[in-house]
Amino acid sequence: MLRGLRGIVEDIGGGVVFMGQVLSVALFKPCSFRSISEQIVKVTEQSWLTTAVAGFFVGAIMTVQFSLQIQQFGALGYLGGLATSGTIREVGPLLIAFMLSGKVGAFTSAELGTMRVTEQIDAIRCLGANPIQEIILPRWLGIVCSSFFLLAVGLMMSIGGGLLMGMFFSGISMQEYVRHIPTIVTSFSILSGLFKCLVFAMVLASICTYKGYTATGGARGVGRAVVNTAVATMVAIVIADWVTSVFSDVALRIVLGD
Amino acid sequence: MIRFDKVKKSFGPKEVLKGISFSVKKGEILFILGTSGTGKSVLLKNLVGLLRPTSGEIWIDGQEVSHLTEEEYLPVRRRCGMVFQHPALFDSLSVYENVAFGLRRHFSDLKESQIREKVMESLNLVHLNGIESKRPQEISYGMQKRVSLARTLAVGPEVLLFDEPTTGLDPITTNAINQLIQELSHKLQTTSIVVSHDMHCALDIADRVIVLDQGHIVEEGDVEHLKQSSHPLVRDFLQEALSAERA
Repeated sequence: MLRGLRGIVEDIGGGVVFMGQVLSVALFKPCSFRSISEQIVKVTEQSWLTTAVAGFFVGAIMTVQFSLQIQQFGALGYLGGLATSGTIREVGPLLIAFMLSGKVGAFTSAELGTMRVTEQIDAIRCLGANPIQEIILPRWLGIVCSSFFLLAVGLMMSIGGGLLMGMFFSGISMQEYVRHIPTIVTSFSILSGLFKCLVFAMVLASICTYKGYTATGGARGVGRAVVNTAVATMVAIVIADWVTSVFSDVALRIVLGD
Repeated sequence: MIRFDKVKKSFGPKEVLKGISFSVKKGEILFILGTSGTGKSVLLKNLVGLLRPTSGEIWIDGQEVSHLTEEEYLPVRRRCGMVFQHPALFDSLSVYENVAFGLRRHFSDLKESQIREKVMESLNLVHLNGIESKRPQEISYGMQKRVSLARTLAVGPEVLLFDEPTTGLDPITTNAINQLIQELSHKLQTTSIVVSHDMHCALDIADRVIVLDQGHIVEEGDVEHLKQSSHPLVRDFLQEALSAERA
């Protein structure tokens, strides 16, 4: 138990030091725009379809759940607004983070882990380059930037899924569904969703690059790094969700002057 | 000249190198032999700063390098090129870009035409021509090893460090690589340190041999001296080399 706890503390400490190095490289030796854009394209290509499909069904699920609840109060006109607000503020960013964690997080961790155990990272150092500048920073920024593209895709699809479900499951028209979206989905909801998306993407990118970069022990070590990445990102994203929810709530209260 | 002075290296409670001292003369081919896990690769990685000794000193041409920062190590790494146990080629780059990688980083002022010239020259040295546009996964493992050597040679190192250069290769490619090490050492006047467990190869091309066991040097000398050794591990290695020759 104590050994496990010590391992977690050491892992967090190692991660913080690693992110310090990444930040230092980002400030003083930034990588090329080309290498970042390559990663953005790669991550987006890898995940947009899954995100779109998942987004569509999440929108549909949200609409069905809200529909069952608000039908009792005769407030079906608010269905579109409520379902969309819930998706933008909470479910959308969370969904994107989980999608990225499963696809991009595992992939990045395995890729970097393989580079580590096959001595490619050592070779980069011996050939006069900084591995953090060459391979870590572009991947980190690629994941963070592409998460916003994927959020946009996921949200559009979820609104589409919700709308279709509203029309065919709840029997309301398209005009009725979208009528209250502008009144319920405020700029604060959008900012809150974007903020969550940014935090989750940063958490994910940090964990998967760190776990891959520090993998040891051949093929088994790479496998272990991928599993640890999957577990750590899921837990960290849920914790980050709680923290950002509290933070958003406090910010909203301050803005409203409560 | 390279000199290790009482170098120790530990990983947690495990001490891998237990006070190693030896030196390598300019232009010499030194073989470091030992069974797996005796710290041979750790020794090389300490020399190029991929690992740092727990204690002791490493001298290269009068400069103590073990305390240098990552930035300060760059000129040392340009002078001491390392060929890894794995080919360690970058999958996303072509053979040409792999060989040019170190040139672009170590010599940022080189023109593209000069880079091309050096890349072709290096590939020529390892007897590989016409594969520049191929990806590493499109060529054989033996060829990948030679591309890896060309990538190290391109930077023009004075010292070549080989970590198990023939592991995983068939006997014919193994012989070709060994001949290449000897040929390059003579042609380019480089100092070579070869980490291996292949005594047969050491007997063929080494000027001097060090045998490592449990983090200590148990035997050191030229090939003739080694043949007279009574140390059990050295006798085992010699026996193995003899059997391989007979086979």
